[in-house]
Amino acid sequence: MLIDYKNKKILIIDDFSSFRRLMIRMLESFGAKNIDDAYSGDVAIQKMQDKAYDIILCDYNLGHDKKDGQQILEEAKHRNLIRYSSIFIMLTAENTMPMVMGAVEYQPDDYMIKPITKEMLTRRLEKNIKRKADFEEIENAIRSKEYMRAISLCEERAKNNPRYMLEYLRLKGDLCITTGLYDQAVSVFNEVLAMREIPWAKMGMGKVHFHREEYLMAIDMFRSVLDENKTYMEAYDWLAKTLQELGSLEEAQQVLLTATEISPKAILRHQTIGDISYKIDDYDTAEKAFKSAITIGKHSCFKSPSYYTGLARTMIKKDSSDEALTVLGSARNEFKANREALFQTVAMQGVVYKELNREEEAKKAIHEATRLLEKLSGRIPVDASLDLARVCFDLGEKDKGMEFVQNVVKNNHDNDKVLGMVQEVFRDARLEEEGADIVAAAKKEVIQMNNQGVGLIEEGKLKEAIEYFEKAAKGLPENKIINANAAQAFIMYMQKTGANDRYLYLASQFLDRIKNIDPSYDKYQKLLNMYERVAVSGKSPVG
Amino acid sequence: MENRENPIDFPSFLASMAHDMKNSLNMLLNTLDEVVGSCTPDKCQSHRKLSLIQYEATRVNFNLIQLLTLYKMDRNQFSVNISHYPVVELIEDIILQNKPLLDFKEIGILTECPDDLTWFLDSNLVSGVINNILNNAYQYASKRILVRANEDRGWLVISVEDDGNGYPEEMLGAGIFKGRGVSFKTGSTGLGLYFSSMVAKLHKNKDREGYISISNGGAYGGGCFTITLP
Repeated sequence: MLIDYKNKKILIIDDFSSFRRLMIRMLESFGAKNIDDAYSGDVAIQKMQDKAYDIILCDYNLGHDKKDGQQILEEAKHRNLIRYSSIFIMLTAENTMPMVMGAVEYQPDDYMIKPITKEMLTRRLEKNIKRKADFEEIENAIRSKEYMRAISLCEERAKNNPRYMLEYLRLKGDLCITTGLYDQAVSVFNEVLAMREIPWAKMGMGKVHFHREEYLMAIDMFRSVLDENKTYMEAYDWLAKTLQELGSLEEAQQVLLTATEISPKAILRHQTIGDISYKIDDYDTAEKAFKSAITIGKHSCFKSPSYYTGLARTMIKKDSSDEALTVLGSARNEFKANREALFQTVAMQGVVYKELNREEEAKKAIHEATRLLEKLSGRIPVDASLDLARVCFDLGEKDKGMEFVQNVVKNNHDNDKVLGMVQEVFRDARLEEEGADIVAAAKKEVIQMNNQGVGLIEEGKLKEAIEYFEKAAKGLPENKIINANAAQAFIMYMQKTGANDRYLYLASQFLDRIKNIDPSYDKYQKLLNMYERVAVSGKSPVG
Repeated sequence: MENRENPIDFPSFLASMAHDMKNSLNMLLNTLDEVVGSCTPDKCQSHRKLSLIQYEATRVNFNLIQLLTLYKMDRNQFSVNISHYPVVELIEDIILQNKPLLDFKEIGILTECPDDLTWFLDSNLVSGVINNILNNAYQYASKRILVRANEDRGWLVISVEDDGNGYPEEMLGAGIFKGRGVSFKTGSTGLGLYFSSMVAKLHKNKDREGYISISNGGAYGGGCFTITLP
């Protein structure tokens, strides 16, 4: 195969200018015309924002205290700066490349060891371009959220193309997990493990055990991955997650602290350490962890208000409420333009002011939070809402508090974990009886609302049903059953009148929400199948 | 001034030095590649000398890679990256990398490998091993090298055979692969074989683990190195 380099957009990332020049000369000799280079991660990300590169050659080690190649890759993928068809090749000076192995989705297409000769480079590029072409159809199916089709494509290809068999099986296993098809996932991983004890297959098996709440078996799996492979970071995170489910918080904390020694720059892990340490009253560790998350997160796409609110919560416990307020002040500054983040920050400000007995300011925070919540669409932060409810109850603003709780209950009326948290709030406020009534009423309201929509579907009034559920799902974006019925109404309507892009898009959004809330919900896979059939059966204009 | 109170972490120091040397060496090798590429033997008098420099620099590079890898293994900072890899591609890549040196030494290399043979291996590590063995074989081979790969009862066997004088008697059967017998007096051979045996051992499947062996004889009657992976 001959590659035409003339129109390929290429980016070279290396901290040594002599190496960049050398690579440019090499690529120019292949006929490439459109070559850019960057000496650091920040510059590279900047360039990727401006141009969609076809080929990215990135050095792993970009200098002490600088973003490394893996971090660039993760950030670029997270921010959708790399298309599926682009090729990302990680270059290293040594053989010891994947010093830290991240999750599968954050792995480069290939690794190459320097020095890189012309012949090696063309060969690798050719190989990867060919491989991309083989996976294109599956990737397109995933992008248009036709997961079931993607799964059957993987199955077919794994049989017919032994060269990439394992990659197809890995993709299939992952897709089965995300769509809650756990039995199928298990048989994929078993098939692979019979051939070879590959870490990702063990990880997959562990994740299935986790989702099925077989926590002890999950722990065995994750531990055995780590026994073989100390730098398989994903295994530490899942092990800790499983230990948390079992209530072994101290052990989970230790596991994550070990992981942090190996890979100190993973922000989300610092946050989890902070959260766990707070729960077990280890405030020194919590403070350290949240502070690390904030520092590392400053220039990262993974920055989040929860590092700040977590630190503020910790500082209250350490009797430094003033510092807590300072932290929240900088969070407000940092997240000016992000309503959800602002809501979380303001809620925590309310908590701190109440703690300091500054009632006026606490009340002001409650009102600001209320206004922000009204404008929030999409995710309603449960923790922050319940924090606010607590403050309201403490300050005697019972009605306001009830409003926050009702909102949480309605969005999660069938989620026992959240309802348990709600109960705890009521218990602490000594409002157990009244609280139980509120919860029951909110649940009843949602059920009635749902039944009314289902009634429309059953009567065949599909046009009315889609309008009804579109509105209902907008009001309760986190409610699994409402979203499922909304998806169903739209799919049935399209079965009758033909598919169109707007309705397909809406239906896929409802389906996506269910996937994020609970992919093992049995109705989800049925709907996914129905959706894909409608999506391929042809489209008619919006009607 | 010597400061005994505050000793430096000597191994880390060495590793970071080696890393730095490797960066310089990369540039040196890449530049040499360009220079040698633009000067053909008939037009350029220094072609032979440049090739010799290239050969020696490559040897240093392989040694540094081994040193750094062994260092990371020792510090538990190393993980194998096993993938399902077509063996023929692996061998072709290696031959391609070695082409200038083979030409320089006027050695003919032959490969035997089934096209559809794929195996679970860390391609970078195994390439490192084969590269190193080839590089040594250049020193001892006179005209011919054979690289063979095939599956034998659930194991992948890759061998490198030459037509030289073979391994010295004292190396055969010595516990050199286990690191016990690494003799720094005999030069780089000890490190190379030690590295190879470490790489082989990192390849595990269920209860089996890879190993290396050396012997004399083989297809061309010279040295024969074999790495066997489960």
